[in-house]
Amino acid sequence: MNTIQTLLLAVFVLSSIPIASIALYSQPQIAKKLGTIGILLGCLMGLWSVWQGINETGIQSLTYSWQHILILSVSMDNLSAFFLLTIFLITGAAAVYGFHYLNEREKGLRTLINQALLGILASAMSLVVVAHDMVTFLLAWELMSISSCFLVVYDYEQKATRHAAYIYFIFTQAGALFIFAAFGWLHGLTGSFSLSASAPVPESTKLLIFFLAFAGLASKAGIFPLHIWLPHAHPAAPSHVSAIMSGVMIKMGIYGILRLYLTIAPDSLAIGRTVLILGMVSGILGVIYAMGQNNIKRLLAYSSIENIGIILIGIGIGMIGMSSGNPIMAVCGFTGGLMHVLNHAIFKSLLFMAAGSVAHGTGTLAIERLGGLMKQMRITGLASLIGAVAICGLPPLNGFVSEFFIYNAAFQSRQISNMDFLLTILGAISLAVIGGLAVACFTKATGIVFLGEPRTSEARHAHEAPLSMRYAMQFLATMCIAIGILPTVFAKPALKSAISMVTTMTHQPTTLLQTQAIMDLTTRISWGSVLFLLVCAALWWLRVILYRHKPISRTCTWGCGYTKASPRIQYTGSSFAASILEFFRPFAPIHEECQEPVGVFPTKARYHSSILDIAETLAVQRIAMPVVRAMRSLRWIQHGSLQIYISYIVLAIAALLVVTWLWR
Amino acid sequence: MLTSLFIYLLAVALAPLFSAVITKTKAFLVGKQGPPLLINYYTLAKLLKKGSVYSESTTFVFQTMPVISLAVSVIAILFLPIARMPALLSFSGDVILVLYLFGIARFFLIIAALDTASPFEGMGAAREAYFSFLCEATLFTVLMLFYKLNGTLSLNDYFTGPNAISIWRPEGAILLLIAIALFVVLLAENSRVPVDDPATHLELTMIHEVMILDHSGPDLAFIEMSAWLKLLFYATLIADLLLPELSTITAIPAFFAVITAIYLTIGIIESITARFRMRLVPKFILTSFALAFFAVILVLEM
Repeated sequence: MNTIQTLLLAVFVLSSIPIASIALYSQPQIAKKLGTIGILLGCLMGLWSVWQGINETGIQSLTYSWQHILILSVSMDNLSAFFLLTIFLITGAAAVYGFHYLNEREKGLRTLINQALLGILASAMSLVVVAHDMVTFLLAWELMSISSCFLVVYDYEQKATRHAAYIYFIFTQAGALFIFAAFGWLHGLTGSFSLSASAPVPESTKLLIFFLAFAGLASKAGIFPLHIWLPHAHPAAPSHVSAIMSGVMIKMGIYGILRLYLTIAPDSLAIGRTVLILGMVSGILGVIYAMGQNNIKRLLAYSSIENIGIILIGIGIGMIGMSSGNPIMAVCGFTGGLMHVLNHAIFKSLLFMAAGSVAHGTGTLAIERLGGLMKQMRITGLASLIGAVAICGLPPLNGFVSEFFIYNAAFQSRQISNMDFLLTILGAISLAVIGGLAVACFTKATGIVFLGEPRTSEARHAHEAPLSMRYAMQFLATMCIAIGILPTVFAKPALKSAISMVTTMTHQPTTLLQTQAIMDLTTRISWGSVLFLLVCAALWWLRVILYRHKPISRTCTWGCGYTKASPRIQYTGSSFAASILEFFRPFAPIHEECQEPVGVFPTKARYHSSILDIAETLAVQRIAMPVVRAMRSLRWIQHGSLQIYISYIVLAIAALLVVTWLWR
Repeated sequence: MLTSLFIYLLAVALAPLFSAVITKTKAFLVGKQGPPLLINYYTLAKLLKKGSVYSESTTFVFQTMPVISLAVSVIAILFLPIARMPALLSFSGDVILVLYLFGIARFFLIIAALDTASPFEGMGAAREAYFSFLCEATLFTVLMLFYKLNGTLSLNDYFTGPNAISIWRPEGAILLLIAIALFVVLLAENSRVPVDDPATHLELTMIHEVMILDHSGPDLAFIEMSAWLKLLFYATLIADLLLPELSTITAIPAFFAVITAIYLTIGIIESITARFRMRLVPKFILTSFALAFFAVILVLEM
């Protein structure tokens, strides 16, 4: 069986077994076990095919045609293989996590359907990345969007969840329309549905097509300002679904951008520059909004926008390198971006799972109500700590690997024009600033939630997550450490796909020497990580010796002589973030509602503050509301009578026929 | 190599002494005798002899922080060419590793502070997180500038070899801006006046000192040592920039003279200025970013 057949079999197993297990709904536990095993089996087979795909040099493809109308074709190159790796790795972990996470007896059937949809989502994503023509791509894309939409509404009793799914649905369908339009245009120009080669298209049209599709892909990826759905949908979904959506599904947007870039192969610098600038904006604003959140999952959702920004910075620098004839810069940038796709998938899923486990153990996700969880939830706490260090891009964990590549790409820009050099500098500086702000954001997320004293009784009575949830988190945390210490193994596929991208674009093979120079980067990282760990170990040993036979006692925290401190005097998450948010006030206005205590015997007082997302505020005020108002005057069209609707359709078709006839 | 090892050990051993220079300068300027120059060694010896008292609120995070903090400072100086001698360790891209290692030290410093459940430490932690990301912007701008001038990406190659960066080069005037920017970063990152006052006695107004209020014994010794080394790291960076091309024998005394001058300057600034209000600190740090970015533009126009 060749690679692509293995993959298709994996996709079949991944979706069919969980669907089939619904039939056993009278025995939910057994059915759930069966479904989980099915997903795991599918993921393992998928990983096997990825392993084959990475080691193969050529491109494998398979075509299926039905009545000569519907021709579907799939193929797997290095780029697809890399994204498949991400998909199968995270889906497997999420399926294991979900086994104990969705464990309510009375929701048995719903859980099974959720599991089946999870399998369908993973299959759809796999098909998106192996689609070889526009039709297959769009079919898989829609399947992915719709199945994830249903996954979000798991808790459909809650109004907020339905609202989130609604917003997500609008964004995903509107985004898809842009992609349809761009693909249609491209097909009109070249006459082919293929996503690999392209007939000559004028350069200016190429740009227009790219940006048209980019709008749709960007809304899926959650690029600022098209990210509005993301902070609604991700917190509403069950945690393992959020992990897949945030870790993997939004990356399909990135994949689409890369694939389209390869398909139409533009020479213009405008694309690289735009992508880089959007990356910087998404990165910085994403992390600022993340810092202002009081719900852990919302914080993580905004942080996904930040990380998409980092990926775009990498890809943007790569595109600039490509257009200005600097293949090393291009390879480094693309490798960094791709590595960050994988790394972000791992640590963001880990963090979402840890957040789910906090919700499971305490019943709340509000940062201000938690605290001191490290003592009762040690595994979750450690997992969260590892995820936080990794997401800040700090050595010796995996986040550093991708950022190191992106910096190295930026530090290849000496020979390019001043304008692009300056832009690249700004990219590197924003990466540094994002890193600094991420430290502030994730010290808040771990410090306030897991350290200190419990702020409420919910936090005081927290309990550790059940077995399967812990396994999933331990697996992902181990991956974070493994990639941080041994990046070579995982950077190779990323590097391979980056190199194949650059060679297809430039039609010049990269020399072995250049490849070696880039691979050396990874050895340096492992070197640095090992050095750091060794020095830490040595100093820890020294510390143990120094503490031998020394008196060690425990008492309360120093409170300037005050010894009866209550947990409520602790610094809160909002106060921790307040001064930084104040600095960014123009971009992140804070909305305050305050009812002050009045009178001699004040009865009621309340204060509420939240950070406003400027993109959302503007979209609602300037776009959505005027459109709604304008549409109100068209209400008379809607009668609710079927006959009239059918006549609308007939009239529309007739009108279109007339228009096309006149056009000729 | 041997010279490098020797000067590394010498610098690490002398780091506490140099920090005492600041204390001595401050005492001298207000007409006091001040503590002896060896005061920091006495402090270290005293702390290492003691045991520790831990807060009941704390977890293992609180105890790992001193180790990570010291490890980072020790490693950072390994990559630094002291007195323009070749660094002990070096590879292309080590600058990024070093700056990110300082990042992980900061991460643990902040969460260790939050681990104590103390509101004062929370305040210090929030300020540390705030001011440091501004410093990071300056540092990476300086890196980009060095890269543009020199074409390499390691601390060693910046300051050694024929292409070394120093203010005695033709574009030296621009590098003076960088020296000033780096000095501002030094003051901010090492919690000196006017950003933070290490000598203050009010917990509410501190940054670095308040975050380590609950540490004691050898743990505190580790943290103190790490802070002295970090200060030395930034001072050496500036000293390397200021040093002219010299032979080995003259370079070492010249280097230590420049380092002493930098520490004296810190002491003098601390004696003659008051610390800024917290609101002004970001503007102060952003000035350094503006200087560095201006320098980049000047270099591009050359």
